[in-house]
Amino acid sequence: MTTRWFKLSLMEQMANIGSEVYRAIKWQKKDLTDSKKSFYRALELFNFTLSDPKNRQRLKEVSRAKELFSSWYLGNSPYRQSAEEWERYFFQFNLACRLHT
Amino acid sequence: MKLINKTISLTEIIKMSKNQYGNLVKVVVDIDKKVMVIDGELHADEEALLIQEGSRQSSLWGINLYPDKYGSTDFIEFDSMINLRPSQNNLSRGVDDTNTQEQIRQIVNTLVIK
Repeated sequence: MTTRWFKLSLMEQMANIGSEVYRAIKWQKKDLTDSKKSFYRALELFNFTLSDPKNRQRLKEVSRAKELFSSWYLGNSPYRQSAEEWERYFFQFNLACRLHT
Repeated sequence: MKLINKTISLTEIIKMSKNQYGNLVKVVVDIDKKVMVIDGELHADEEALLIQEGSRQSSLWGINLYPDKYGSTDFIEFDSMINLRPSQNNLSRGVDDTNTQEQIRQIVNTLVIK
């Protein structure tokens, strides 16, 4: 997966992470097991993104997003965040990738 | 990644889901050709395959199938990065048009057999 992942632009990587974030949030209300699976996948994709050599100069936002999303999802964030804000944040990457389609 | 133009069993989808994401498989459906590609790592890969096979991008929609929710409305999840298409006025990751949703449901229900 990493070989395939590294071929994506950072924007595409973040948009794909956003898909898992969206699923983790959506399933929180309906099926916690499915929600956790999506959460763990999001973490895995965050880690792939952080290990991508081409992202070396742009790690700060990715690592902060990972930390803040993880702590929010696990319920121990000191910051006020909401599901809507997380969805909005990742949606921008999706939009940027698909603007010309 | 597999192109489905006849049928695929739920058992095979369950096996695919365990090898990939654990609880779901990614699918892209062509609503004109009434075929789908399943089991790609990314919807974008499945989209690319269908376009190579002659599909028009505007006919392609990304969904996720949850095989353990077969028979319920949660079996099909209308969500994919590739669905966001400003040019077609689809401004979310879902499938905004309910007629298109219904077309996708019918194609999936025809191609996936228990």
